[in-house]
Amino acid sequence: MMINSLALDRRTRTMMAILGCLVLFSGIFLAAWLYGEQGQVTNLALRKLPPGWNQPFGTDWLGRDMFARTLKGLRISLEIGLTAATCSAVIALVFGLAAATMGRIVDVVVTWLCDVGMATPHLVLLILISFACGGGAKGVIIAVAASHWPALTRVIRAEVMQLRTSDYIKLSRRLGKSPAWIARHHLLPHVVPQFLVGLLLLFPHAILHAAGLTFLGFGMSPHTPEIGILLAESMRYLSTGMWWLAVAPGLALIISVMAFDVLGNNVRALLDPKTLRE
Amino acid sequence: MNVRHFLIGVALPLLLLVASCDQQQKASADTPKTLTLILGEENTEGFDPTLGWGSYGNPLFQSTLLKRDADLHIVPDLATEWKLGAGQLTWTVKIRTGVVFSDGSPLTAGDVAYTFNTAAKAGGVVDLSNLQQAEAIDGRTVLLRLRHPDITFIQHLITLGIVPEKLHGPGYGRKPIGSGPYKLIRWDEGQQMIVEANDHYYGGKPSIKRLVFLFATENAAMSAARAGKVDVLGVSSNLAGQKIPGMTLHAVKSVDNRGLMFPMVPDTGRKTPRGLAIGNHVTSDIAIRKAVNYAINRQALVDAVLDGHGRPAFGAVDDLPWDNPEIRFTDNDPEKAKAILEEAGWQDTDGDGVREKDGRKAEFEILYNTKDSLRQGLALAVSDMLRPVGIKAVPRGENWDRIKNELTHAKVIVYGFGGHSPLEMYKLYHSNGPEPMYWNAGFYANPVVDDYLDQALRAPSFEEAMPLWKKAQWDGKTGLSTPGDATWAWLVNLDHTYFIDRCLDVGRSQIEPHGHGWPITANIDQWQWTCK
Repeated sequence: MMINSLALDRRTRTMMAILGCLVLFSGIFLAAWLYGEQGQVTNLALRKLPPGWNQPFGTDWLGRDMFARTLKGLRISLEIGLTAATCSAVIALVFGLAAATMGRIVDVVVTWLCDVGMATPHLVLLILISFACGGGAKGVIIAVAASHWPALTRVIRAEVMQLRTSDYIKLSRRLGKSPAWIARHHLLPHVVPQFLVGLLLLFPHAILHAAGLTFLGFGMSPHTPEIGILLAESMRYLSTGMWWLAVAPGLALIISVMAFDVLGNNVRALLDPKTLRE
Repeated sequence: MNVRHFLIGVALPLLLLVASCDQQQKASADTPKTLTLILGEENTEGFDPTLGWGSYGNPLFQSTLLKRDADLHIVPDLATEWKLGAGQLTWTVKIRTGVVFSDGSPLTAGDVAYTFNTAAKAGGVVDLSNLQQAEAIDGRTVLLRLRHPDITFIQHLITLGIVPEKLHGPGYGRKPIGSGPYKLIRWDEGQQMIVEANDHYYGGKPSIKRLVFLFATENAAMSAARAGKVDVLGVSSNLAGQKIPGMTLHAVKSVDNRGLMFPMVPDTGRKTPRGLAIGNHVTSDIAIRKAVNYAINRQALVDAVLDGHGRPAFGAVDDLPWDNPEIRFTDNDPEKAKAILEEAGWQDTDGDGVREKDGRKAEFEILYNTKDSLRQGLALAVSDMLRPVGIKAVPRGENWDRIKNELTHAKVIVYGFGGHSPLEMYKLYHSNGPEPMYWNAGFYANPVVDDYLDQALRAPSFEEAMPLWKKAQWDGKTGLSTPGDATWAWLVNLDHTYFIDRCLDVGRSQIEPHGHGWPITANIDQWQWTCK
């Protein structure tokens, strides 16, 4: 009884955490939409105001509301993160499955690609790809998507390979089950959580790297309210004492990245057959 | 002194290099203080005047035939006499006797002729294509032959530093030898440049014997200044509001201007030989250009984007001797802008806040250089000022290469100019060649203006050209300025802001040209310490 209620408690907490994160993200999208043009339009009369009642995050050097800008920045970051992480995860899934099931040569090639991808410093690769794609949101998305798949590919490949040699799958095969049936009933329940969790855990990387790219000036037009751009801009004003320009977007970025981490870990706890019953 | 050196070495790793020269400085601890300057980026191409060194601001290591004083009057430097020959096709210049380069060898008319001929051949930043031949008539007389009359040629006499013929070669830019007030001792690229007074200088001996130029990012520079390690520091206007102990703010007026360049012809599919599109249907309408000019609140731009360190700009040559004061007008007048648009037939018929005419919206993009936050601020603020009058101006950041090589003739662009020669005005407004890049990028052509500008070039003297330069801007009927063809919407002239040690007297600075930083050294040989 005791154990039972604890287990339920853990499950509820997990659900609560997941729900909280989802509410946070939809809140960001909703608020950014509600703010309309605010945060992009200059207001030369209200420049460089510290945080206060009317402007919770202060205003910047052209009188734009930093709260609105931060929300919009988060929205852009989330959009880029979502697109890039999804692309990356799909690439990882395809490569991982191919490596594990399509024979030796494919396996060697994919593993080699993984090694190359992981051995190249991320930021250098990101800058190269983004620059080659001509910058902008498209460049950032392609760069992030094309550089984040190797880790997840390896996980999926290893998972599938391990499963294929496990006793119950061999047994299934002996019992005359078709490969499709085995894939459906024995492989899928293990691979799907890996994929989803891998996808969620790619998010923080994607968001941070997208912000890093734009911070370095390889991303979008510098007046786009993107978190990386906001942070880069704030650096110039730090020494003049306008701390709020850096603190507010910085904190917001950290919080949303952490929220994704929490979300990813909790979803894993729920989905993974190994922790499902805890 | 040592303690301070130690402090800064800890505070700022970059300055460790300075500390590494401690040995030399300890040895000369009794000599007057070294002057340390941070004036923005270094000139990575080196210090060869024939390749462009000194063309914006003073060459420091070399000296020039003429120079401009604090009021921009032309005064002699190396030259003792200069005169323009008949037909304005020859310049005869007599140079001082007894001038030697910093290595002790004499400077002759041969060196002057060599410098001009070499610069003309180099075809670099220095545009001496009008020079046919420079020749030394005797030891101290040089004859410069021009291909066609051009009174603005005198600018080359003012900016081109003379190099020694026998020492000049491909490596000269790294080891410049000249006859200027200072000589280069050491240059660690990307880090610092050490300069000492040239004992052979023919002018007054500089009172400050040793200069150290540090090359650092803005943040590192500010930290160094707070640590009391820098004596002269060029800062962008957004940082000028701070207090730095021991330093005062020195704001210098400039013609370093920023404005919106308008494509002046409609987009008919015409292209330059390189394939750049020319023209814009919206900005080729004079009503749009005038409305933009009148709607903008320039003082608000100065107060906000420049933090008050600047002044409104109405033309490309504000407050220079060839500026025509009649081109000033009252801006921040949205009602007038609206009236102009209405009269020209621009009306908002579909109620979306943007006017239309002949099915075309009053909409254009304003491009700015991605790396330049000041131009970004101007583009954004102007765009918001134009919305209420019904013009939709969309700001967009682009990298400089793309602006220069793809978009310069078809988009509204935030450009900056501002030179000490009226030649700049000629190049900006005279009808142009097939591939002008940013000289008259809008393809403006007004025969009356062309005529004034050509006459000014052919004028018999610099002074007699003045009224013609002014008439080109506005002659009462037409002109290149806003009352006339409204070819640009000039926005602001920057003030160049410097933090300067309380104990340093930098004299009276000139109205500075485009380029924040180096121009302040124009009178560096007269700077002095005032304390102790």
